[in-house]
Amino acid sequence: MKTTATLAVISLSMLTAIAVSAAEHPGKEYIEKNGYKGPETCETCHPDTARKFLDTVHWKHASKVTNVDNLDPKEEYGMKNRIYTMCNGNDIVNNLKEIPKNAEGKTKFTGCNTCHPGNHLSDVGSTGKKAEQAIDCLVCHSGSYDFRQRKPSKDEQGRIVMGQDRSTKAALSITKPTVKNCMVCHESAGGGVLVKRGFAFTADTDVHAAKGMTCVDCHKTRDHKIPTGFDPNNWANDGVHLSCVGCHTEKPHKDEAYNRHTARIACQTCHIPRTGGAVAKDFTKWEKGSDGFYEPTTLKKEANETVPVYAWYNKTVSNTPHFIGPKGSRKDKSSKIYPFKIFIGKAFYNQKDGKLMSMDFAPPMATGDTLAGVASAAKTLGIKDYKPVPGWQTIYFGSNHLITKSKALNCVNCHGVNGVLNFKALGYSDKEISKLTNPEIYFNFMIKKQQEDW
Amino acid sequence: MKKAVSVVMALTLMALGTVSFSRVAHAEEVKMIGVIQKIDLAAGGKSATATLKDNKSSKNVVISITDDLTLDKFKDHRIVEGDEIRCKFETEGGKNHSKLFRKTAGC
Ligand code: HEC
Ligand code: HEC
Ligand code: HEC
Ligand code: HEC
Ligand code: HEC
Ligand code: HEC
Ligand code: HEC
Ligand code: HEC
Repeated sequence: MKTTATLAVISLSMLTAIAVSAAEHPGKEYIEKNGYKGPETCETCHPDTARKFLDTVHWKHASKVTNVDNLDPKEEYGMKNRIYTMCNGNDIVNNLKEIPKNAEGKTKFTGCNTCHPGNHLSDVGSTGKKAEQAIDCLVCHSGSYDFRQRKPSKDEQGRIVMGQDRSTKAALSITKPTVKNCMVCHESAGGGVLVKRGFAFTADTDVHAAKGMTCVDCHKTRDHKIPTGFDPNNWANDGVHLSCVGCHTEKPHKDEAYNRHTARIACQTCHIPRTGGAVAKDFTKWEKGSDGFYEPTTLKKEANETVPVYAWYNKTVSNTPHFIGPKGSRKDKSSKIYPFKIFIGKAFYNQKDGKLMSMDFAPPMATGDTLAGVASAAKTLGIKDYKPVPGWQTIYFGSNHLITKSKALNCVNCHGVNGVLNFKALGYSDKEISKLTNPEIYFNFMIKKQQEDW
Repeated sequence: MKKAVSVVMALTLMALGTVSFSRVAHAEEVKMIGVIQKIDLAAGGKSATATLKDNKSSKNVVISITDDLTLDKFKDHRIVEGDEIRCKFETEGGKNHSKLFRKTAGC
């Protein structure tokens, strides 16, 4: 009964939230009168917000990481400095820049740190008064942001500046962030729309979106510390976490038969039967587009096109040059079975030390010369002794959205012959498997359902 | 159980088959990459047309868009003229109805 109570409270607070956002932002009149001058305007009524924002993952693209192997506990990790093969670089080697001219004499701006709410002069992880005033509050808080302003250009001194919409008009429609505000960056993570995770958040693809919930209804945020989960590939975190059972309970089902499974099977396993986004990329060979620029060769999939792989996960992560993925086992009682998308990426490794190398995308984007990209990144990082050889890296991506009730896995999906779980690989003995795949354990339950449904 | 599963599978396939056959009868899904020459939002903002220059043929193709997510991207200019688009559309009643409309921009 606790579930119903909690959810009722949440549903209620969602309703009030809608009511509040329909009401005007109390600062509107002030902004109308005084115009919008950036964070300092907001800080007349919301003091110290900007300074605190500088200490978040969204500004630093990094944090200390405690659940991943082979990291230095004193260092911070994230998009700022990680190297993997979903995007074979980071903010440092792929700092926003104008790329060399391509064969057609065209150039463009590119860089990972475009997905940062700064102006590039105050960049990822910068601190101080200037950085505070450079924050783009409105990209997350305005309902009428003009995205033509949010693009890179060169200023008079030749520096690359990331534009912002700082118009008074945009500042007059302050709301708590909508799905759109968050998706400005999240939808295109990994190199294009829905590439990384097939992360569509629409009424068709997620029960919560269908109920009108937004990102921040679940990712409840205080002081701009946005809670996250334990995706083996999203390490940086603000030290706060969320989970399904923060709102639902461990026993959310009317049917005890499902509740009995939640001790060893994560909610996501049954409720997210499909995943999506790219399944493989090759950073050693880039494809030429019709505009004369090159892009990494990418095998793409739609939001719900990929069948997940199931593995035990205890929220600690194995991290080696050729593998990033979940640790855990059947024996380890803190492990549960979770769904993952396996992505496999090809890039250059340093034959001298076996480590994965990174790539500055500017040279290959212009000419397709991927080794020039490796050389440029190596120079930035001060790596002199290297010999690049191609190799593959396997990465497990967690699957935490695209939640369904109607298509959730039922008894037969798992216990039927040729079910979705590979019991053997998950550590069950032949004897156990013959029991787990015998209709005896689900027949009566499914017959009852069948009678109810018809 | 295997049988039950395969019957379901067969039914699903048939269902899918019917859908796609009936589609082929009326309209064929075309895939195209092209650069936006022009966006026209209808008054009221419930639909729009975008003229794309097909990279392969260099011909202009007019696409009708009615999905809210893409319309919103036109309104706040997340998608603008000059952007390269990966598009899937179906032709019906002389109009090219967009089924997928995404910026190609990658890493
Ligand atoms: C004249 C004072 C004033 C100014 C200036 C002002 N605000 Fe507010 N704002 C308020 C008050 C009062 C509230 C309601 C109480 C609260 O949440 O602190 C509020 C609430 C908010 C909320 C919560 C809205 C919700 O629906 O939950 C956000 C977000 C917000 N302001 C952002 C901003 C931003 C961004 C700026 C700068 C563009 C800004 N405010 C400028 C007074 C102001
Ligand atoms: C300006 C681009 C941008 C916007 C807008 C944005 N994000 Fe992010 N977000 C990022 C990037 C980049 C990362 C990854 C940083 C890293 O891991 O180093 C990230 C990471 C996260 C994470 C995991 C790390 C953490 O902070 O816990 C969560 C959760 C998240 N974002 C949620 C949201 C939500 C919810 C919104 C809308 C309120 C939002 N983001 C808006 C760019 C953005
Ligand atoms: C369109 C916005 C955007 C761009 C551009 C972008 N990223 Fe990200 N990136 C994100 C978001 C959002 C996340 C976190 C959420 C997620 O993983 O889904 C993220 C996460 C990451 C992570 C994992 C960080 C962690 O905390 O473990 C790495 C590594 C990464 N990005 C690398 C890159 C590289 C390299 C580039 C440039 C070649 C790049 N990204 C460009 C949005 C972006
Ligand atoms: C990456 C997106 C993002 C950016 C950038 C951002 N905010 Fe927020 N802000 C949020 C989220 C998420 C919440 C929590 C909304 C909720 O749960 O109601 C929030 C809440 C707020 C609130 C309500 C009170 C609170 O602290 O929870 C205020 C005020 C606010 N932001 C002001 C600002 C100001 C001022 C800036 C610029 C200095 C800014 N925000 C930049 C995402 C952002
Ligand atoms: C129904 C609640 C819910 C909603 C709505 C929701 N999330 Fe999440 N999100 C979660 C949970 C739960 C996790 C972590 C689960 C875990 O790892 O155990 C998560 C994880 C994440 C992560 C970490 C990477 C990953 O995919 O695991 C990011 C980034 C994120 N969410 C962003 C968003 C954005 C952006 C939106 C809106 C478009 C959103 N979320 C909407 C519940 C939600
Ligand atoms: C912030 C709280 C919150 C989080 C976190 C959350 N949910 Fe929900 N969930 C809700 C609410 C509220 C509803 C709508 C309940 C209603 O209206 O009946 C809902 C609905 C659902 C439903 C559909 C129920 C129905 O009867 O239609 C399923 C299934 C579900 N959630 C699963 C999950 C899973 C799996 C996760 C974790 C990945 C999760 N939820 C995370 C609050 C949450
Ligand atoms: C073994 C598979 C399985 C697991 C594990 C599982 N669910 Fe479910 N869940 C289902 C199925 C199947 C339904 C649909 C039942 C129906 O429609 O009769 C369902 C229904 C629901 C509902 C709607 C209420 C109901 O009884 O129909 C909610 C809410 C929900 N699940 C949340 C969760 C959460 C939260 C978790 C993790 C604590 C979870 N589920 C774990 C299979 C599972
Ligand atoms: C996501 C796949 C999945 C779904 C869906 C699922 N099960 Fe299971 N079930 C498992 C796994 C895995 C175990 C073994 C759990 C463990 O190791 O404790 C199991 C164990 C059981 C057991 C205990 C067997 C024993 O060891 O004696 C029974 C009984 C059972 N399931 C019945 C059902 C019924 C009935 C349904 C539908 C209501 C169902 N299961 C749905 C995966 C599933």
